[in-house]
Amino acid sequence: MDYVTWRSHGLRAALAGVGLMAAAPAFAAEITIWCWDPNFNVAIMREAGERYTKTHPDVTFNIVDFAKADVEQKLQTALASGTASALPDIVLIEDYGAQKYLQSFPGAFAPMSDKVDYSGFAPYKVEVMTVDGKVYGMPFDSGVTGLFYRRDYLEQAGFKPQDLQNITWDRYIEIGKAVEAKTGKKMTTQDLNNGGMTRIIMQSGNAWYFDKDGELAVEGNAALKGALEAQAKMVKAGIVKPATGWNDYVKAFTSGDVASVVTGVWITGTIKAQTDQSGKWGVAPIPKLDIPGAVSASNLGGSSWYVLAKSKQKDAAIDFLNAIYAKDLDFYQKILTERGAVGSLMAARTGDAYQKADPFFGGEKVWQQFSDWLGKVPAVNYGIFTNELDNAVTANMADLTGGKAVDDVIKAIDEQAKLQIQ
Amino acid sequence: MAMAKSGGLKRYYNVNGWLFVAPALALIGLFMIYPILNSLMLSAYSGRGMMMRFAGFGNLVRLYNDPIFWKALSNTIVFFIIQVPIMIVLALLIANALNNPRLRFSGLFRTAIFLPCVSSLVAYSILFKSMFAVDGVVNRTFMALGLMEQPISWLTDPFWAKVLVIIAITWRWTGYNMIFYLAALQNLDRSVDEAARIDGVPSWGRFLFLTIPMLKSVILFTTITSTIGTLQLFDEVYSLTEGTGGPSNETLTLSLYIYNLTFRFMPNFGYAATVSYVIVVLVALLSFLQFYAVRERK
Repeated sequence: MDYVTWRSHGLRAALAGVGLMAAAPAFAAEITIWCWDPNFNVAIMREAGERYTKTHPDVTFNIVDFAKADVEQKLQTALASGTASALPDIVLIEDYGAQKYLQSFPGAFAPMSDKVDYSGFAPYKVEVMTVDGKVYGMPFDSGVTGLFYRRDYLEQAGFKPQDLQNITWDRYIEIGKAVEAKTGKKMTTQDLNNGGMTRIIMQSGNAWYFDKDGELAVEGNAALKGALEAQAKMVKAGIVKPATGWNDYVKAFTSGDVASVVTGVWITGTIKAQTDQSGKWGVAPIPKLDIPGAVSASNLGGSSWYVLAKSKQKDAAIDFLNAIYAKDLDFYQKILTERGAVGSLMAARTGDAYQKADPFFGGEKVWQQFSDWLGKVPAVNYGIFTNELDNAVTANMADLTGGKAVDDVIKAIDEQAKLQIQ
Repeated sequence: MAMAKSGGLKRYYNVNGWLFVAPALALIGLFMIYPILNSLMLSAYSGRGMMMRFAGFGNLVRLYNDPIFWKALSNTIVFFIIQVPIMIVLALLIANALNNPRLRFSGLFRTAIFLPCVSSLVAYSILFKSMFAVDGVVNRTFMALGLMEQPISWLTDPFWAKVLVIIAITWRWTGYNMIFYLAALQNLDRSVDEAARIDGVPSWGRFLFLTIPMLKSVILFTTITSTIGTLQLFDEVYSLTEGTGGPSNETLTLSLYIYNLTFRFMPNFGYAATVSYVIVVLVALLSFLQFYAVRERK
């Protein structure tokens, strides 16, 4: 199934590439772009390319669709080998990994500080791509999180949408128990081999694995402790349907097996693809940690575009990104409506699409909510070792849900992390 | 005069001989020897991405102190110590059964058992993942048959995750090894077996004391290739666990760790090269041991 979809996407990308090349006049600049997710990043970049081609008919685009892990692997291999010809002109990099690439491959990416006005973007996105005062890359989507829930299941259990406003994780668990008692559905799903949930809750508590200076901050990290405790409690309370891997995770809430899921806004497209569930969904702010400084908003993932310094089409690529992603407000309305992509260009949020009510979510103005929450996401330093820490956390997850004391788990995470980050 | 002539001829053959093998040698040198030497040199460096500096034995010290490396090593060893014997014995038994001339549809059975090993590593891993999901077909079948009360969480329980990996690679590779045994069995002289049968040796005795000793060299070959294969185990665990080697690093293998060190974590090519040399040393050592164990005693 996966193989087939992958092939058909590959084929479609190849055909699209051929089509674009055939339409291009001679001596045209062709910009090659690597990214993942055919329904999101690839589709959005195709839209951006079409818009740019209208004013610059000599520029064509070759958008290559890989799996995310493959983009990272190919990028890293090519950067390490130093062969520019193996690299694209523009590449998509997830925010968590941005500093890792910028710092470990200095000179590989083109600084864009003097060409792009970064003051219009969400500050946390710009910070992620800044090294020694220079800004690299074009901020793209945000992963602002929300609590996506099944209106019908919660109603059946006697809860109204306002019952989900401003709740704590303990309250979420109580609601979950009631929902299962009434509907027989688990409240949520989680893949315990994936560190996403820990990151969401931790960032909502205004902290990360690292402090503002990028130093390891695991021991004594109240937000991390809260994140681990909340997950242990949820598993113990039996409100979680365990998922094995991403597809299983997505299937749990798209098939109606669970009543809610806490994740990034980019999942909207996937949820809305279940057209038969229209009107049955709602969005609420995520539950809050019971610690000072915690908010009901967080972030998961999100990525940005980077131009390779050795690219032959460097100037064209930067001009393209600048023209569309930093200036075209209408573009942001379109990708929001069609793909559920919440961009990080602040001015875009005054547009029409952000004000609209969505019948799929029972007529709520979901986009306005998401952009409100986006403004509240605590800015933290993702550092350069997020994957290492994620691994240390998931490696100890089984012990945690098995009943090991949270403080001992944190100690184990800290020990493993210290050895890994060098 | 004659001496000079034969010397000239020898020289002629020498030069021509070397010219013939030169392209192959050059390619081997470029694509085998050079990378091997280069990676050995790389293992003496350490650093983030391209910011590498000479570290001498620093990577070995880090290796010694790295609990994840030891975890990956012990997982890898557990995989091959348990999986390789199971698979070899299974393959031998199946090969022997399929070699029975009175068996009907043996071609069909042979194909069926060999088929898994022409399937793509990634495709079958993904299939196994869905079959062994908590509400997957395996759990549901076992529960419907009343064999268990609670579904097994194959991919999130540390013990069952290892079992699943072993089941998966056994399914994939048993047929492959069986083919070698079948080929070898067909080369064996039937009269030896018939003579033993006339002497009244039971079938298990003929299998154990005649067939197996005669297959010794093939068994050695398959054991070595299986050991090397299991030491390099990557695709299955990567696909089953989405690259994490979870739960709790219980299915992390050395190869997956090397991949993570290079591509998922802050890239440290030097340290990753050091870990890969551990596999080289292990493969050399185990191959030597296996050769030694079945050597011809004079």
